[in-house]
Amino acid sequence: MPRDAILLEVYRHRFAGVAEEMGITLQRTGYSPNIKERLDFSCAVFDARGRMIAQAAHIPVHLGAMPASCAAALSSVRKWSQGDVVIVNDPFDGGNHLPDITMVSPVFAGKLPVFFVASRAHHADVGGMTPGSLPLSTELYQEGIIIPPVRLYRDGMLCEDLLELILRNVRTPDERRGDLAAQRAAHAIGERRLLACMQTHGTDEVLAYADHLCRYSEQLTRAEIFQWPDGVFKFTDAMELPDGEDALIRVAARIAGSSIMFDFAGTDPVVHAPLNTVHAVTASACYYAVRCLMREDIPVNAGCFAPVTVRAPANCLINARRPAAVAGGNVETSQRITDAVLGALAQAVPDRVGAAGQGTMNNLTIGGTLDDGCPFAYYETIGGGMGAAPGADGLSGVHVHMSNTLNTPIEALELQFPFRITRYALIDNSGGAGRFQGGRGIVREYAMLDSVTVTMLSERRRYAPWGLAGGAPGRKGRNMLIDALGKETELPGKFTRHLQTGDRLRIETPGGGGYADRNSRST
Amino acid sequence: MSPGRILVGIDVGGTFTDFVLFRDGQVRIHKTATTIGDQSQAIIEGLELLQTAAADAIIHGTTVATNALLERRGARTALITTEGFADVLSIGRQNRPQLYALAQPPRSHLIPRQHRFEVTERLNSAGKVLTPLNEQELENIAVQIAEADIESIALCLLFSFLNDTHERQISQWFAKRMPEVHQTLSVDVLPEYREFERTATTVINAYVQPLVSRYLVTLSRALSGQTLWIMQSNGGTLAAEQAARLGARMVLSGPAGGVVGAMGLARQSEISEAPHLITLDMGGTSTDVALCPGHIPQTSESTICDLPLRLPSIQIQTVGAGGGSMAHVNRAGVLRVGPESAGADPGPVCYNQGGISPTVTDANLVLGRLRPDYFLGGSRSRPLDEAAAHSALANLGCRLSLSAEETALGIIRIANATMERALRRVSVEQGYDPRSYTLVPFGGAGPLHACDLSEALDIRSILVPRHPGILSAMGLLMADVSTDTSQAIIRPLAEIIRQPDLLGERVQELKRQVAARLPTRRTDCRIAASLDLRYTGQSYEITSPMPLPVTATGLEQTLRGFHEAHHLRYGHSNAELPVECVTLRIQASHPGARFAQPAADANPTDLADAQVYTQSIWLADEGALEVPCYDRGRLQAGHSFVGPALVVQYDTTVAVNPRWQARIDPWGNILLDYGADHAA
Repeated sequence: MPRDAILLEVYRHRFAGVAEEMGITLQRTGYSPNIKERLDFSCAVFDARGRMIAQAAHIPVHLGAMPASCAAALSSVRKWSQGDVVIVNDPFDGGNHLPDITMVSPVFAGKLPVFFVASRAHHADVGGMTPGSLPLSTELYQEGIIIPPVRLYRDGMLCEDLLELILRNVRTPDERRGDLAAQRAAHAIGERRLLACMQTHGTDEVLAYADHLCRYSEQLTRAEIFQWPDGVFKFTDAMELPDGEDALIRVAARIAGSSIMFDFAGTDPVVHAPLNTVHAVTASACYYAVRCLMREDIPVNAGCFAPVTVRAPANCLINARRPAAVAGGNVETSQRITDAVLGALAQAVPDRVGAAGQGTMNNLTIGGTLDDGCPFAYYETIGGGMGAAPGADGLSGVHVHMSNTLNTPIEALELQFPFRITRYALIDNSGGAGRFQGGRGIVREYAMLDSVTVTMLSERRRYAPWGLAGGAPGRKGRNMLIDALGKETELPGKFTRHLQTGDRLRIETPGGGGYADRNSRST
Repeated sequence: MSPGRILVGIDVGGTFTDFVLFRDGQVRIHKTATTIGDQSQAIIEGLELLQTAAADAIIHGTTVATNALLERRGARTALITTEGFADVLSIGRQNRPQLYALAQPPRSHLIPRQHRFEVTERLNSAGKVLTPLNEQELENIAVQIAEADIESIALCLLFSFLNDTHERQISQWFAKRMPEVHQTLSVDVLPEYREFERTATTVINAYVQPLVSRYLVTLSRALSGQTLWIMQSNGGTLAAEQAARLGARMVLSGPAGGVVGAMGLARQSEISEAPHLITLDMGGTSTDVALCPGHIPQTSESTICDLPLRLPSIQIQTVGAGGGSMAHVNRAGVLRVGPESAGADPGPVCYNQGGISPTVTDANLVLGRLRPDYFLGGSRSRPLDEAAAHSALANLGCRLSLSAEETALGIIRIANATMERALRRVSVEQGYDPRSYTLVPFGGAGPLHACDLSEALDIRSILVPRHPGILSAMGLLMADVSTDTSQAIIRPLAEIIRQPDLLGERVQELKRQVAARLPTRRTDCRIAASLDLRYTGQSYEITSPMPLPVTATGLEQTLRGFHEAHHLRYGHSNAELPVECVTLRIQASHPGARFAQPAADANPTDLADAQVYTQSIWLADEGALEVPCYDRGRLQAGHSFVGPALVVQYDTTVAVNPRWQARIDPWGNILLDYGADHAA
């Protein structure tokens, strides 16, 4: 079926509508604050070959990583039946880190699956060493239950044995059960909408336009890259390891015609810390950076990724092999990969790329036991400064790059958990100075009302987010412990601690880097 | 409605101020240019031109509050909040507005940091005082507020929705110390949990309230004693002196009149007492869509100026497609429409005011769906320039290898796809089947697109109001007088059912509050109660009606309604899961006006007399069709015809597609039915 310039635009709305509605359903029926308040999930539509057609993305790190889940599901199921739902979180077989549980299910036209719908949600606990499942681990097995791509539903029937096995391995089974049901509800809606669309417009037309949309996005992405100068642009950035060492990410962006290749040759090997990433996460970061530089509002689908190649040495920090620890790679290393990639691209298109943002998600998990004896696991991330860009100050107190989750309202979390927020504010002068100023970081202070286990995975505590073109770096982040007597101790960027009633934790997140010389700032 | 009463509806829009005068069963209409600086000027002038005796009631829809926000012309406002949380307003939910943009425009918070003050005090999540209020700090804040020339204070403390003591204490202190400064308390505006949303809503009210209050005082004075009612965002009206205190409640009232008007028309044209409607208000830059399943649906989740506004408003979906939406061909050779709009200036190419990019209006013109000489009844000084529109479309078409007409059809199709998505969002995506709904198109361009959109959604009946251009002003006359309030009650529903009397007491208390805002002399006051419920552990609630008085049986019924609504919206429910109550809502209202059926025309005419032209129009790819073109003014009750046809009138054009049967009802509305017998 040839591409009609008008129907194409119509189908863009149709597919986007399906993914968007799946997302709304997941949000509204979810149970954990992480899903319903923070929107830490994505939903997508794939074609039969596993190419992404549309995505309702709140979380850029899912962008390039969801296709890997779909591919893993496709290769694990020989014969699909209506009502099948595959579930997976194994980072080395379609996942990115264990808390992100992905579901994939087929949509049939006649006897064959012609589409797949998928949802990925960050579950607040999947077992492992510490509550919240973002531990200071050294291998995958410490990070929680590993679910290979298997069917949680067969022919529409829940495999209860499997669900029981999963739930027995997590700290908060009821919440997990509710969140998994919410994911399933989102799939039912996605399937229903696609079926209706095919019924009304004919399967052939719907499939043809799924294909056209991918080509369309590829065409636009290539047109944009074609305008960038050919050449090789290099950048190196560092991760802060728990033992005080650094792990370097080296990238060379090779622009040739309408294609771009990110080559990570020279990047440090796998580390004995939860900071490794699988290839899909690295690809996500690269796709995200390229997507940010598009001038046009391009539908996000497999076509956007086609002109982008990602090459990484085997078993390195950003292309790890089983059983490397990856819990924090998805949330922290992904940010640094983005910084490195944008640092390289800034040399190619200097008028479009700005300074580094806070470069961390400040992942905080707090776990313990509630008054009624039930265990709890709370997860949140904290915003910080966005990097200044040519033409704009960085925003203050927001998530940058690979995340865009919301905060949990203080009045919601204090109702549920045994700690209290005593301060939530922007930090003055924490954004890097410049003609355009970096955004300000956040200070958030927690007072513990019970003994709890706290795990923190944060970055940019030793190296400040860099400025660009003469702009100053942003202020580094700090993690402070204040005991009942008021004594302050600085904690490292990554730690697990048991805190007592009366202890306070103060997290100061990094500011964004500034752009261009401050003396040229207009007043 | 009692005979002899004079009612005037006045709706202020961006370009025109519309007047609808109702007297002795007769409706008179007047349009005048809106006076931007002071809306009351056009109102006074318009009323003089109408030369009416003193009205019994003037019902007014105003954009004073909305514009103050959009143009950032509100009062100099300060915020007083709990120590440690002055930045809650600027951090918001800590997400960035655009996912994939390295440079983003700054967010606006209405109140700069130096005017946000903290006081030492803290409640815990049970509403118990952890740190008592330190009144001595207020002195210092008062000095700074005076120095900064603050006109309005927003007060929002953490967990105040559980215990209002500290907020009221501060309020009393400032009322004594600086009585001239306006105050808004979060516990009065929105006693519900979620600190950012509550703070933002309180701040919005504080920001617009002085302006709204001044405007209404001026207007009331000029109207010398005539009763003035103001349209609220929830589709109800409120006496001006009440409305003046709650400015935030009229911020989203702009599109409310149209929805109320559509429901009013559908009720009186006997579609049903509880009509199932989808309204489609298509203007120049955007289209508003609402689904009314027998009643007007409300939501408390709205956003204005990047800030959440958690007050009841009519649930409306807005999309950026309107008559002025501009078309262009992008680098991949694909036709796109909007969201950029040509607005009123330069306007579409056919206005001949310098517009270059063809718009949806230009496309309609080239396809023959608009008559160049009939547009807005020729109230524009020149007819539309069809040749200019044609050549702009031909130019664009060159890049697509399409003719001007084919390009125009494409533009319509894409604009329709955008609107269709909005229609789907309010219908199928909420679990409502559009096939059992009637579409009510209004605004300048709605009736042109109504048949196409209905066909896409399988909607089988359409009601085109007699005066689609002034439906909002008509709606003002039909709106209920209504007000509402809410109170956070976070408890398991099972517990409430065990002791319904406790809830009953709260209901009585809130009933007294809302009833006090209504006129005392009317006796036909209706009180409706509802609970926001959710499965324990979820974060999003469904507002479920609750019968009064509060009884265990009634609450069981509310619970069943919740499960059903959850199933309808999300495709699943579970009667075994525990359900939690979050908020109690009480609404009080008096019914609005109803119009009597106009007397049948004494001299019925032939349909042929109403036909003014034959017009060549494009409705689909097949090419041009010769269709009859009727003058709306000459169509009479009982007339009926089958599409394709056009109906023209001064403020809109109705495109009747093939297979649609049109008939005129006693009120002059056009009712369209799909798949009608062609023999008719």
